[in-house]
Amino acid sequence: MEQVEVGQIEVSRTFEAPLELLWKAWTEPEHFMQWYGPKGFTAPTCEIDLRVGGRHLWSMQSPDGNPMYFTGSYKEVEPMERLVFTDSMSDAEGNVLGMGEGMPESMDVTVTFEHAEGKTTVTVSHMGAEQAGMGWEQAFDKLASVLTKS
Amino acid sequence: MTKDALSLTFSALADPTRRQILARLANGELSVTQLAEPFKMTMPGVSKHLKVLERAGLIMRSREAQWRPAKLQAEPLKEVADWVEQYRHNWEESFDKLDAYLKTIQSEDRDSDK
Repeated sequence: MEQVEVGQIEVSRTFEAPLELLWKAWTEPEHFMQWYGPKGFTAPTCEIDLRVGGRHLWSMQSPDGNPMYFTGSYKEVEPMERLVFTDSMSDAEGNVLGMGEGMPESMDVTVTFEHAEGKTTVTVSHMGAEQAGMGWEQAFDKLASVLTKS
Repeated sequence: MTKDALSLTFSALADPTRRQILARLANGELSVTQLAEPFKMTMPGVSKHLKVLERAGLIMRSREAQWRPAKLQAEPLKEVADWVEQYRHNWEESFDKLDAYLKTIQSEDRDSDK
């Protein structure tokens, strides 16, 4: 098992599409609902108030389960460049639900957009908000090496 | 692993002192005295942290020696790593759907221009 960076997840993808379209896909509900969520999930509802301090509330529906709701607020909105928002599980009204004692109640999601030669690279990094200030990755550098031995 | 067990692990890992204890144990087992040294903490203070770690299955207290060394157990950490990987997997799948969606709307645009 290779070394894992635990605590921060970073995923990048380059899309054959212009920057404006990627920005719309992330910030306009009618686009957002068409793609957001893992395979087999739909996003039946989506509200986005796109400004610093503005709230979002969207749902995810699994093929066989009840809908799940996620809410949060936007911390940074730099059009065509960067989006940072908090993300927590909530009820349908947007009241935050805990995910269990010790589990991160809220995640910070950072989305960056880079454009080159007609293609756009989107990078999402996803970190437990409390962990962000706790030197999570440093502690895990050593621990990850233990995992490779076991 | 049950959701409760994962919560216990996260709880245990949420404290920076406990994370430092685990990082030191990654190099080999240590006694409570040895663990307490750098933190300038009382022995009961360290013992309290060790109890939390033990409850989460992150360490095992050996009964072999009288000083009962603490030993790192990697399994719960692997569960955390798996949980994190699940998030990565979800994002990759979302990106697959985004890719497909972008292709669809762009080809629709091209068709409507004809």
